[in-house]
Amino acid sequence: MNPRQFIIAIGLGLALAAGTFMALRMQAPSEPEFALVLPAPNPVPEFSLVNQEEQPIDQTVFEGQWDLVFFGFTHCPDICPTTLQVLAAAKTELQKKGQLPLPRIVLVSVDPERDSPEVLKQYVDYFGVDNLGITGTLDEITKLTSGLGIFFEKQQSDTENYAVDHSAAVLVFHPDGGFEALFSGPHVVGNYVHDLPIVMGGT
Amino acid sequence: MRNSVLLLILLLAACGAPEPPLVISELEISRPMPGMQMSAGYFEITNNTDETTRITKVSSPQFEAVEIHETTVTDGISRMRELDALVIPGRSSVVLERGGKHLMLLRPIDLQGSVTLQFFSGDLPVLSVDYSFSKDERQ
Repeated sequence: MNPRQFIIAIGLGLALAAGTFMALRMQAPSEPEFALVLPAPNPVPEFSLVNQEEQPIDQTVFEGQWDLVFFGFTHCPDICPTTLQVLAAAKTELQKKGQLPLPRIVLVSVDPERDSPEVLKQYVDYFGVDNLGITGTLDEITKLTSGLGIFFEKQQSDTENYAVDHSAAVLVFHPDGGFEALFSGPHVVGNYVHDLPIVMGGT
Repeated sequence: MRNSVLLLILLLAACGAPEPPLVISELEISRPMPGMQMSAGYFEITNNTDETTRITKVSSPQFEAVEIHETTVTDGISRMRELDALVIPGRSSVVLERGGKHLMLLRPIDLQGSVTLQFFSGDLPVLSVDYSFSKDERQ
């Protein structure tokens, strides 16, 4: 092989390698850009609470569909409705794109003192049909939140208008009932529209 | 007399309209959600003076109480706290937005018409603005 042939052979080899690399890259599934996917799904802890219809529910309520689970309270005029609006808008966008299955939106109250099933029902229904509201006793809510690493704390106030500090994350639960991934704030519709089909399609 | 009036008009035109010391723009008030006794207000407030303005109280005839709040998210935890004042430095603007500073409007009295917000610095009324729900009605 003379030097010229050698250079041509090297060039062809490089072109072949680059083509193979690009082909493999195009075939590889996209990665979530915003969601943190857990290495293995975490089981949901056992609990005994009620839904917005005042029906008893336990951890099996998360089985059978993908869930987007947010922890908040109805007497929160800013970040809670904003987050739920983002989730509802993302769900609408995914529906327009033909994404199936669609996730369910779940609000777990961290303020059961004020969030009766009746109050919670009006609140979650405002953001769309098929949403799930969860409330009950403080002890049982704490079983659920502490098992998932979710923080909440009622703030002292002289009036009934107290605030509750709470984790801002939205958790994604697998249809098998496991904690699969999480979105940290700030919550943006496009982030969910991009990542959810990847997270939900990767199983 | 006619010349005096003409002169006055010309002088006013030459001066231009006086710049208001405080201006509210992008005002948005959310309607209370069903069953709820509270909503939130968002806007941008601009201080056209050289002095810092402190809004220490906001009131509205359409709500029993109005509070100035701030939501912060630190280390993944969302916290909402009442502020003593909304501080707008001279020749600056402050934005009240979702997930940040906002007004918390409590216990609506009458939301049939427009909402009036009155801003005070101490006991001194410094600004009043009206908001109509009709243009941003969601329901």
